[in-house]
Amino acid sequence: MSNSHLFLKPAFITTPGQNGVGRYFCQLQRVVLKFCKNNGSSRGMREFIENKLIDFVKETPEVAVYMKPRRHRTPIIRAEYLNGDTQWVNARNFTEDEILKWLQLLKTQSSDKTGIRLRKLLHTDHPSVQGPWTPYTFRDPKLNLAEFPSPELAGPHVVETTATEELLEMYKNQQIEDVNEKRAE
Amino acid sequence: MLCRQTLNLTSRIINQNLIPIQFINSRNIKRWVSPTIKEINRRRKKVGPDPIKPRYSYLEWNYDVELYCFGKRVGETFKDNFLREALVQREYANVEEFRAEKEGNESYVPEESNTQLASEGHKIIYNYIGEVYLKSYPQDVTTAIQNYLTSDKLLGHVAKYLGLTDLVKSVEYPPETKTLADAFKAIVAALESSSGLERAQLFVKDFVIVQMNGKDVYDIWTPERPFDYLMKLLEEKGIKEVEPRLCNQSAVNTILANYQVGLYNKADKKLLGIGWGESVKIAKDTAALDAIQKIYCKHNSN
Repeated sequence: MSNSHLFLKPAFITTPGQNGVGRYFCQLQRVVLKFCKNNGSSRGMREFIENKLIDFVKETPEVAVYMKPRRHRTPIIRAEYLNGDTQWVNARNFTEDEILKWLQLLKTQSSDKTGIRLRKLLHTDHPSVQGPWTPYTFRDPKLNLAEFPSPELAGPHVVETTATEELLEMYKNQQIEDVNEKRAE
Repeated sequence: MLCRQTLNLTSRIINQNLIPIQFINSRNIKRWVSPTIKEINRRRKKVGPDPIKPRYSYLEWNYDVELYCFGKRVGETFKDNFLREALVQREYANVEEFRAEKEGNESYVPEESNTQLASEGHKIIYNYIGEVYLKSYPQDVTTAIQNYLTSDKLLGHVAKYLGLTDLVKSVEYPPETKTLADAFKAIVAALESSSGLERAQLFVKDFVIVQMNGKDVYDIWTPERPFDYLMKLLEEKGIKEVEPRLCNQSAVNTILANYQVGLYNKADKKLLGIGWGESVKIAKDTAALDAIQKIYCKHNSN
C-alpha cells in the first residue's frame, strides 16, 4: 500500500442483491458518452462511436448507451449503476481503444469503485463454522460429577517446582554429599 | 437543459440578494474574485441541496430503449404492452387521466395501471415459493417464508436492484418501496402472460428465492412458545416425555449469568437438543428450538 492509498475508503468485497447466485445480470444500467463534434480532444471518442460502438452495443444489449454532443467541451463517459451510483470518466484525448477498455471496466464493475480500497481479496459473513468459544467448549466431562469444595480442583492447575525450591534442593543434596565425603575420610 | 438548470440555480442564489456584491474597475490584482466566490458559496449553502431530479426528466432518456435493455438485463422476452402496463402505478394512471380531463384532451388514451397484474403476480410468487419450500419444510415454516419473501420490503429491494427505480411510472420520485414491490409482482405476471408460467417461475426462483441465500430459515420462522411446540411435535413422533437437564452453568447470580440446558428423551436417554440462555427458562426454550431444528433437518434428509 502506497501513501496515495492511505486516504482511500476501506471496503470489503460485496455482491449487490445476490447477483450471480440465480443468474448474473450486468450492474451497469446506462452509459452517456458526451463529446464535441469538432474539438480535437474528442477525436478518439468520435472514432470510437464511428468504428466500435455498434459492436459494443450488440455485445451488451443490457446497457442503454446515449450520446450527447456538446460544443467545445471535454469528452466524458458517464456511467450509471443499478445501485444508484454514477461514475464520471474524463476521456480527454483518449484513443478509441482506451475508451473501449474503460467501457469494458465499467461494464464489469458493480458500482463506482473510485476512492475505495479493498481490505482483503476475500470476504465471508461466517468466518467460523464451529461458532465462538464458550466456557463449555472442550470442557472436561469429569467436572460434571465433581463435588465441590474439592481440594484437587481448588489448587493451581500447574504444579511445578519454583527456582527457589530447586536451589534449596540442590543445597540440601550438596550438604548430604559433604557429610558422606567426611564420613568416607 | 443544463444551461437552464444553471440559470435557475443562479437566479435562486441571486434572488437571495442579502449583501450587495461590489465590483471595482481596475487593472490590478482582482481582489473581488475571492469574496465573490465565497459569497456565492455561502448563499448556495443557505439555499440547500438541489431537489432530486427524476431520471426521465434528463435530455438523454429514451423509455423504449430502457425497456428493451431491462428485458435483456433479466434475460427474458416480454410482450411490450404487458411490460409497459406492469410499470404504471395506479395513482399515476389516475392522476394522468384526471389531468387530461382537466385540460380537455379528448385524444388521451387512459393508461392501464398494474393493479390487476400485481395481484396476479403476487399469487404466482406466493404459490411457487410454497411449492418449493413444502418439499423440505412443514406448512408453518413455509407460510412464514412465503410472507417474508413476498413482503414489500424484500421485493422492493429486489426491484431496486433490477433498475426499476427509474422505469416505474409513479407519482412520487424516488418511488416508494410498495410501488417498487407492486411493479416487480406485476412484471412476474407480465412474464407469465408473455412467455408462460415456467419462465415466470424460473424468474421467481432466480430473483426472489435466491434472497434466502446466506439467511437462516429459523431466523425468519420462530414459534412463540418453542417448548410447547416441540412437545406437540414429539407427540406425533411417539415421544411422550422429555427430561430437561441443566448441563452447565456459569457466573450464576451475576449480570452475565449463563445456563446450558439439554433436553433428553426420557425413554432412551438420548439428547434431543441443547441450548444456552441467561436464565434456565430461556435456555430451555433455546434447547427446544434446537431440537425442533434437528427434527426438521432429519425430515429434510429423509
